[in-house]
Amino acid sequence: MFLTLKKYALIYREFFATCLAEATSYRLHFVLLIVMDLLFYATTLTTVDFIYQHVSAVGSWDRHQFLFFLAFLLTVDQLHMTFVSESFWVLSASIRNGDLDFLLIKPVNLYFLIFLRHIRPASMLLCSVTFFLLWHYGVLAGLSTIQFMLLPLLLFLALLLLVSIEIFISASMFWLVEGTGVNFLRMQLQQVSRWPDFVFYGLPRRFFTFVIPVLLIGNAPVQFLFSPFDYHSLLFMIVLIGFFWFMIELTWNKALMQYESASS
Amino acid sequence: MMQSELAIFCENLSKNFRIYQKKPGLWGSIQTLWKREFIEKAAVKPLNLEIRSGEIIGLLGPNGAGKTTLMKMFTGIVIPTAGQLRVLGFEPAKRDLQFRKKIALVMGQKSQLWWDIPAMDSLQLLMRYYEIPEKLFQERVGYLAKLLEVESQLQVHVRKLSLGERMKLELMACLLHDPQIVFLDEPTIGLDLIAQRKIREFLLNYHREKNITLILTSHYMADVTALCQRIVLVMNGEKHFDGSIRAFEGLMGQEKYVKFFFSEPQNENHPLLSPLHPQFGNHGLEVELRVPEDKLKEVCAHILKELPVTDFQTEKMPVERVMQELMSRTGA
Repeated sequence: MFLTLKKYALIYREFFATCLAEATSYRLHFVLLIVMDLLFYATTLTTVDFIYQHVSAVGSWDRHQFLFFLAFLLTVDQLHMTFVSESFWVLSASIRNGDLDFLLIKPVNLYFLIFLRHIRPASMLLCSVTFFLLWHYGVLAGLSTIQFMLLPLLLFLALLLLVSIEIFISASMFWLVEGTGVNFLRMQLQQVSRWPDFVFYGLPRRFFTFVIPVLLIGNAPVQFLFSPFDYHSLLFMIVLIGFFWFMIELTWNKALMQYESASS
Repeated sequence: MMQSELAIFCENLSKNFRIYQKKPGLWGSIQTLWKREFIEKAAVKPLNLEIRSGEIIGLLGPNGAGKTTLMKMFTGIVIPTAGQLRVLGFEPAKRDLQFRKKIALVMGQKSQLWWDIPAMDSLQLLMRYYEIPEKLFQERVGYLAKLLEVESQLQVHVRKLSLGERMKLELMACLLHDPQIVFLDEPTIGLDLIAQRKIREFLLNYHREKNITLILTSHYMADVTALCQRIVLVMNGEKHFDGSIRAFEGLMGQEKYVKFFFSEPQNENHPLLSPLHPQFGNHGLEVELRVPEDKLKEVCAHILKELPVTDFQTEKMPVERVMQELMSRTGA
């Protein structure tokens, strides 16, 4: 077990080194990615701030609670962009052009190789910004020390649910071959997850909570932080993560059998 | 032969692909949105093959014959539709971790090296994948780089390398973990003659030293004649020949092709030439003859004596001619 962990830690270190070497080959592109992400944060936060200049509460949340919720999701989003997002785009291309061939014959866990291979060092720098926002709005929202200590675990669970849903969905790329549409679907689902669940009513709310449970990604952990006795959503989220990994095993086994590579 | 002595054993191995078809034009594109027509294509028809450890096999055949599909089934990339397949005692479709440690694949038209970073960075990543100890890694990099003459290219970005240099580094990347079986899918494609020769020499030397199993596909018959001990000819997904190069050359009968060059044009009905299926060129100044092998010496001596010969040559690539002939016969 220890040797396996060591092997994967060493591989991951090489992933990071190669991604950094690649990213710094195109320096202006590297800077541009940082500027784009900063612009995205600014527009997201100022939009909500503008709304709160005209109303005192949205649903049951005041300004600071809402901005903390957004900071939480921006952090999840930033971690996602840093560590996994790029891999989904690469997967789509590698199924189409057959580059997946080389990954399939490497003696490494395939999920690890496919989904953690591409890291965006530019986004990694910006994680410090979102961590600062999280701390800042957490203080304004009145979070206690214990609540702050729970944050890393909750961020991990939120990211894990998001990634689990995405990996499950992305198995369909093997049948579709052109996976750009699946990637756009993933992005739209992320958009949905950026809203508090009380924004949705009826069927859409049930759908995005129980069928494709993206609403739980931010809502379950943040609601648990605001009212710790309301832990049912968080528990449900953990169960769903297990369920999705069970489904991933089933669908990916079938998907990999389906893989036809590309003519050379 | 015991299955355990074999590097590859396959019985009735087949692979079908579903190929979608689209009618041309705008209406054809719209129609495909709700109705897609497809054909089931047998890329590999039930095929039996046994390859012993340490052999160098040339998988030959025209484009679309099924060679690459076979390679991909052998490596576990593509799952067979039917049949039995064992490679080094493993079932490739199960993609066992231990199996993946023992094989390597080079594709002339694809790269496993990262484009935007120096090759050495990619090699270090491979070192981690295959859990090669640091010291052994340095030794193997040094050994292979020297053998392939790429020491100075290791720190250069892959995108800046020539095709020949890149292919040498691809070979290096695939041999780093000391695989027992190496699949080479057109490793010399697009390379100039010198680079091709160097790759061939390297492979021969490496095989001599390590006695690994090499499975090669190539459209360059020079690769095949220089490297392979045995040829497997695949056409339209079926095995048409399996045997030694010598036996392959003999498929067209025991004849040699000899070309003569003359100082003055020769008559097409010349009694010495006409029984030997002459193919005249350059206004009668050169002719190619099919000469029975047992009469080669006698016929050549006779022509040299009787006709104004300035030069002559026997065929360099009989394998290529057999291939061409077989392909034209089967319409491949």
